[in-house]
Amino acid sequence: MPPIKRVFARKKVCRFCTTDQETVIDYKDLKTIRYFISERGKIMPRRISGTCATHQRQLCEAIKRARQIALLPYTGSIPR
Amino acid sequence: MRRYETIYILRPNLGEEEINTIIDNANGIIQSEGGTIIHLDRWGLRKFAYLIKKETQGTYIYCDYATEPAAVLEMERKFRINDAILKYMTVKLAKDITAEKIEQAKVEIATRQSAKESGESEENENSEDDDTNDSDE
Repeated sequence: MPPIKRVFARKKVCRFCTTDQETVIDYKDLKTIRYFISERGKIMPRRISGTCATHQRQLCEAIKRARQIALLPYTGSIPR
Repeated sequence: MRRYETIYILRPNLGEEEINTIIDNANGIIQSEGGTIIHLDRWGLRKFAYLIKKETQGTYIYCDYATEPAAVLEMERKFRINDAILKYMTVKLAKDITAEKIEQAKVEIATRQSAKESGESEENENSEDDDTNDSDE
């Protein structure tokens, strides 16, 4: 039996599942969203952020809305 | 009746009066179809994440309201004609809203706002125990 390679990993938990279940991810709430986008304005994949499928879908929608109304960039660095 | 929210962005060089007329016009269209304004918020001048019609910043107006779909169409048509409006976005929040729900929403927003003003210092709560597992075996 080959030795199981232990890759450094910690249990990832969905940030939205741990807090209040009823909160809807709001596209106007940039403080929360900013955590889930890269420096270049890309949406963080689930495998990195650890968000669950349901919330990732909502998050995705929120980010795209924020982009539409110029709160977030489509590409390029995030304005501060 | 449906509940919507609209954000529209005005050119930054407008005077207070012009902004007021635009808001009044938009609200007038909403109310003409029997709608109600639940919450109107001026975010003020904000920098854009990207250029819109060669402008770098604009005045954001946020409006939460309940009305018929026809009013939204009409309002957006006016927005497209008006040169002072750089961009707008309407999101449908609920497809059915009753009068009492509207009142409820109004109260909710009012309480949330007063709560926000009184207790601004509840920020750093859920940082979780992320950096506690130093695993070397």
